[in-house]
Amino acid sequence: MKAQTRRQWITTHEWMVKPMRQKEWISGKGMLVWLAEVFSALGMGTYLVGLIAGVSEISTWAWWATVLGWALIVLFKLPLHFLYLGRKRNFWRAIPPFTNAWKTSWFARGMFFSIVFTASGFVQIVLWYLLHWVDLSASAADVVTVLAWIVGIVAGVFILLTGVYCGFAMSYCKSLPFWNTGLLPIVFVIMGVADGLALTMGVNLITGADDAAISTLEFWTRILLVVNALLIAGYLVRAYQKHSAAELAAQDLIKGSTAWVFWILLVILGIATPLVISIATAFMQGNTEPLLIVAIVCHTIGAFALKYSVLKVGIYRSVLPGVG
Amino acid sequence: MRWGMVINLAKCMRCHACVAACRIEHFLPMDVTWVKLIAYEVDEGGAVDVSTYPVRCNQCADAPCVHVCPTEATHQREDGVVVVDANKCIGCRYCVIACPYQNRTFVSKDKDPGYFPGYERTEFEKKGKKLYPHTRGTTEKCNFCVERIDAGMELGLQPGIDRDATPACVNTCQARALTFGDLDDPDSNVSRLIRDRKGFQLRAEYGTDPSVYYIDYKLGGAPSNKAPREAQTGSHMQHLSSVDRDAYRRIYGHDKEETEVKP
Repeated sequence: MKAQTRRQWITTHEWMVKPMRQKEWISGKGMLVWLAEVFSALGMGTYLVGLIAGVSEISTWAWWATVLGWALIVLFKLPLHFLYLGRKRNFWRAIPPFTNAWKTSWFARGMFFSIVFTASGFVQIVLWYLLHWVDLSASAADVVTVLAWIVGIVAGVFILLTGVYCGFAMSYCKSLPFWNTGLLPIVFVIMGVADGLALTMGVNLITGADDAAISTLEFWTRILLVVNALLIAGYLVRAYQKHSAAELAAQDLIKGSTAWVFWILLVILGIATPLVISIATAFMQGNTEPLLIVAIVCHTIGAFALKYSVLKVGIYRSVLPGVG
Repeated sequence: MRWGMVINLAKCMRCHACVAACRIEHFLPMDVTWVKLIAYEVDEGGAVDVSTYPVRCNQCADAPCVHVCPTEATHQREDGVVVVDANKCIGCRYCVIACPYQNRTFVSKDKDPGYFPGYERTEFEKKGKKLYPHTRGTTEKCNFCVERIDAGMELGLQPGIDRDATPACVNTCQARALTFGDLDDPDSNVSRLIRDRKGFQLRAEYGTDPSVYYIDYKLGGAPSNKAPREAQTGSHMQHLSSVDRDAYRRIYGHDKEETEVKP
């Protein structure tokens, strides 16, 4: 058989004959999507950790963690998504009941999840405030506690959905094989919770360190970081096996132009450094605050790096099979 | 009824008339192109062959862009054509990402600088804007010239047969590489071509069931049915209707009288 090589002819449509990166959600104004996705994960993680931590007994730091998580979603994620839209004044059309698209569109579902969370999360924060800081009569406290449980469950479910829908929205795209896997939402959620644990540690430090709580948070951080490292490794292995475009994306991530983000910002700073610190502090005596602060900063850098690198290496399959 | 198109890859000679016709029909902004011609050359041990693939929105029966649109701005009509309602579009660009054929365009300021950037829009452009606003901040794509189809059908015309009810690109194709018709009608010109000439869809493995089919050439450049180079060159186009029997067979793979479909 003759050796066959193919050369591209018209460069204006090279994205159709060669695997090309998606740009809509990462370049130029697309950076807003990246940032919104990061705040989605951070907000979800922080709110969930605060919510779970305050279930048995509402503490000051747990309350502040829920406030921070809620604020990251409402004040950062949603406005950034809004700013990205091409026709902002039409945004209400994506919200049920003005659309029935929620049946198939993860974007419409995400809008719904975010709005329900915004409302229920706010009510939960108010109820926890009443329970923690206001002297209520016994009967009023009972009513508020029941309400806080109900609203807390609703808010917890919807913040989880708010965090996970971004992953599903991306993994739905068959055009981008690197994203087109069910592992993506899991990686995003676990990394989000791990980063949320870190931010919650930061809240804990600011509101007056609770050593027992910090060591519990660090314990879970260790577990989630290890799980996520394994998941990311599995994700890359799967990309190599899945499709040539996914393999190309994985190669770009590992040794291409995005490699510095992946290795330095995500693997070394975002995963390895916090993991080493959390293990080291478990055996250390005395003041570990500086190390914790380093770990929190590294975690947050990792959160930005994960979403950036995944969005950046979203590589389309070529339109013409067998070409490029 | 489901409108579809058949593209004869051997006949297409990359004259770009369909691209121009589409631009004129819809007053497309400078950097927006609904119909694209992908041309690339295949070098097989020194024998360079040029292949051309006209692509446009595939009007998929199971369209990812329809599924992902959060506002139902992108929707499918009963006749299978996928259209975008610019008034509902919020410009989230999810459809641009999700379209496996990359046939969606986001109309941004830089894509619509006017035909003479830096100068006031011409009267022609102003009138075009009234007909087709091409709203900035929304996404667009080929719509099979639904306005022509609808207007023609109201007059009792048949799309694919009568020019006034047929997409502009099909009308203008001088090589008759494009055929338009009803995929649901087994006796329609497109159904017969697909059946008789083993029509295939682009990236059928996505399961989107495109309404655009290709015939007479195999994507990926299988040597067995590759069209000769002369069929791909612009200088050859005048001869397509008058080639002798042997050349016709060589180019199209069949005799002239057998299966030629007159549009």
